[in-house]
Amino acid sequence: MERPTATRKAGAKQSARTGARAAPLFGLPAAAVVALLLYLPFLWTTYVSFTDYNGLASPVWSGLTNYKAMFSDPDLVGALTNTLLWVVGLVTLPVVLGLLVAVLTYGHKWGTWLRLPFLLPYAISGVAVGVIWGFVLQPDGALGQVLGFLGLPGAHTGWLQAGPGNTLMMIVAVTWQAAGVNALLFVVGLQSIPAEPLEAARLDGAEGFKLFLHQLWPQLRPITTVVIGLSIVGSLKTFDVVWVMTQGGPGTSSETLALSMYKETFVLNDYGQGAAIALFLSLVTFAASILYLRYQLSDGDAR
Amino acid sequence: MQRINRKALTALAVAGALALSACGGGGGGTGVAKGDDKPVDSLKFYNDKGGWKDAFTQVGAASKKDVGVGMEPVGYSDSNTYTAFIRSSFRTKEKADLFSWHTGKELQDLVDQKLVAETTDQWTKAVADGNIPAQLKQYFTYGDKQYCVPLNAGYWVMYYNKAVFKKAGVTQAPKTWPELLAVADKVKAAGVKPFYQTNILFSFVWFETLLAGKDPDLYDALATGKAKYTDPGVVEVMNEWKKMIDAGYFSDPGSKTEPQAQLKNGDVAMINFGTWFSGNLNTLKMKAGADYDFFVIPNVNASLPKTSMIFETGPVCSAAQSDHASTVKKWTDWWVTPQAQTAWANSRGDLSFNPKAEVKDPGLASLNKDVGGDGYRLINRWFEATPVPVANKALEVFGAFVTKPGDPMPGLQKIQAEADAYWAKQK
Amino acid sequence: MNKSSSGPIRTAILVVLGLIWLAPVYLLIVNASKSIDGYDAKTVWKPAGFSLFTNFGDAWSKASLGDTLVATTLYSVVAPVLAVLIGAAAGYAIVVLKLRRGFLWFVFIFGGTIFPLQMVLMPLFSGYANSGLYDTRVGMIIVYTAISVPFSAFVMRNFFTGIARSVFEAAIVDGGGLFRIFRSIYLPMAGSALAAIFILQATFVWNDLLLGLTLSQSESVRPIMPALTGLQSTYGGAALPTVLAGGLLVSLPTVILFLAAQRFFSRGLALGQF
Repeated sequence: MERPTATRKAGAKQSARTGARAAPLFGLPAAAVVALLLYLPFLWTTYVSFTDYNGLASPVWSGLTNYKAMFSDPDLVGALTNTLLWVVGLVTLPVVLGLLVAVLTYGHKWGTWLRLPFLLPYAISGVAVGVIWGFVLQPDGALGQVLGFLGLPGAHTGWLQAGPGNTLMMIVAVTWQAAGVNALLFVVGLQSIPAEPLEAARLDGAEGFKLFLHQLWPQLRPITTVVIGLSIVGSLKTFDVVWVMTQGGPGTSSETLALSMYKETFVLNDYGQGAAIALFLSLVTFAASILYLRYQLSDGDAR
Repeated sequence: MQRINRKALTALAVAGALALSACGGGGGGTGVAKGDDKPVDSLKFYNDKGGWKDAFTQVGAASKKDVGVGMEPVGYSDSNTYTAFIRSSFRTKEKADLFSWHTGKELQDLVDQKLVAETTDQWTKAVADGNIPAQLKQYFTYGDKQYCVPLNAGYWVMYYNKAVFKKAGVTQAPKTWPELLAVADKVKAAGVKPFYQTNILFSFVWFETLLAGKDPDLYDALATGKAKYTDPGVVEVMNEWKKMIDAGYFSDPGSKTEPQAQLKNGDVAMINFGTWFSGNLNTLKMKAGADYDFFVIPNVNASLPKTSMIFETGPVCSAAQSDHASTVKKWTDWWVTPQAQTAWANSRGDLSFNPKAEVKDPGLASLNKDVGGDGYRLINRWFEATPVPVANKALEVFGAFVTKPGDPMPGLQKIQAEADAYWAKQK
Repeated sequence: MNKSSSGPIRTAILVVLGLIWLAPVYLLIVNASKSIDGYDAKTVWKPAGFSLFTNFGDAWSKASLGDTLVATTLYSVVAPVLAVLIGAAAGYAIVVLKLRRGFLWFVFIFGGTIFPLQMVLMPLFSGYANSGLYDTRVGMIIVYTAISVPFSAFVMRNFFTGIARSVFEAAIVDGGGLFRIFRSIYLPMAGSALAAIFILQATFVWNDLLLGLTLSQSESVRPIMPALTGLQSTYGGAALPTVLAGGLLVSLPTVILFLAAQRFFSRGLALGQF
């Protein structure tokens, strides 16, 4: 009896070591595909950020010129402010709403169906979403008509006509799509919470908000990390919605870093300048998300 | 384990270096190899006018019938992505046989890098045959040579909704500026916004109309950097514009409803747009002459000798040293002929740059004939005439101005700062 | 869980919120159903006629949507499946197999999602054109897989941290090969996570515009969005109800996907949690 167990244990230890040795093979496809298709173009972009390049002639080295120009641009402060608004907005609103929807629908008899209205917005194509929100938010548009109908003030407001109101309204439009995605991810998280400790706590008399706070919330941490991590990255990269609705205007009131980057490259054909902004934006995104993740995942790894 | 890690990293690095050299490589046009000229029976026409797909396909069928060379449109629905694609394509084997572009600096960039095919002989013949008006030549000329051929020509006129005019008691199209304002007043009294305006993309329209109608010489000087945006003539125009906005002559610039829908529903009475707008109105089942019509915009300054007519023209170009150069020439020779242009204009309900084309729409046909005559001074649209960084800044300023007009000076100074920087670099 | 979770207050809140959420969808459907000349911005809330199917047909033929269906379906199925598997493998390696410097690997893979897509486009185009991948279905699948992997790896890595270590140890003791353990124990356990990743990425790929526009041009390779947005051009685009109908039509497959996948998310708890 002892011998087989000893052999099995020794075998297990060896397999565990082989596991660690073979681990890179499992990780390699992901690393390779990301490196070749995403990192390589970005290395090129990094190089271009130190050059003067219009997409036609060869890039000409110009050192830190683009960076100096970026930091001395008076519109930079406005772009940074708007970008910050987006981060704060998208890390809070859709996350809280998503969590609310997930928790309320979880275990509900019709939970799946009650979740559906929140998931549909993500399934609808960007073209339709952009047009529809344009009509909701234009002066005397759908929103204005509702307010007028209910006798509330603000019916004739031009929601998109002035900052920071226009940025806030666009955050609402994105929340409309993002809340459902977060709800879905939170549901996945809820599904992996073990039943027994939960039942035990329930028998002990915990219920409602206390149950949520002490039992569910801590166990949701892995998925919360995903949701917030992705929200940080997504908010910094937000582009399509703003471009379709205001193009950064009127003036530059709703411009963000991502928009500046796009305008410099694709409208002004100053690829070098656009690349510099892109690099700056990526570094900010990287720092923000890694700081957050480092903090959150430090004990996850130890498990 | 460490061996696997290192091997993997080395493999990645090698692959990376190869790929980087592939995608980073290639300089400007000088690195492009001369292609072998192979005749083909169909050419791909890259364009950023995705909405004209049906029209292009019709023309392709016509060219196949007439000269044996078909044309297949490859449409891009996003103008910026399209431009970036074309710019990148010159260094690859995807360089375009036929592609639509923009006159002005955008075309000049390509010419400077020797990326686009020269068409001087074709122009000489076309102008001599009367297929292309000589006035258009300057926009396609760099140095002494011409490049590309015209794709289209659009003239900017004032479209109006006939029913709204009738309701407001307007019986005649205005022929002078004071008459135009009087019409606007009548329409306003009838409860309809007189003119359309937007703060995205076309926010420059009224600026160019007012300036070109007031002082076309100043307009041209501004475009070439010989005048400043802060000059008194320009400031006057901005103040005039502000007066009109404050007087309630314009629709809400933030409205996302398409202009053709606004005109159709009688939300606005008049829209200042290019003649290609007829096609947009036809899509909504409006009929020329019955539901809508247009008139030439009178000069603001009545003492000018000729009526300023703003026009836009786009080129159709071919990459230099393309593999199908002889086929391209055959096709573009056909393109400028009256029969080709008749097919092209009527496929879109627009007119053609070729005055001999038989345009179906009678209003457009007579405009096309008149415009070639002596009473008009053709003015290149502001968007093409102005250098890109200046235009970009100006659009931001105009967009904010039409939304909330105030003192124009700070905005004009911003535009001029861009202009100063740009023209200094050109020296 | 239990019936008290279906209380009336809960349901009421969800219903009210749900209706507010559906308002824009209502607007979309109502206005996509109006006839081309019956649309008026002042009455967006009021339904007016039912030309929805006519508009569907118009959008379909004007944008030649049929040509793009096969390609787009191919991309939206194959690329997310590949990404799901590749991401799960990475998560497995980092968490379960305790890959050395695992956090760095994770940061590297996750970092792929940090780059703004617009900046990656043009170098990618040059690379594709020079390597012959431009305008090929294989090329499109590769790039769609690449952009889906970081998300997939992130979710799977975090999901696997929630599975007790003892599961792995017991499986090793039972004499399983590493790959077999991955395939027959960890993947099945992650059913709902895999489904969520697949749905979200499939939708993303289906709705992609920029990559399709930049890296392909033939009608047999181009996905559906570049074709659809052609309806919206200033220069001779289609009327608004047609554009909306096109947008709605194109959204139907993803909506159906969401509906069909609901069963993954209506289960109670996953297995193997102790």
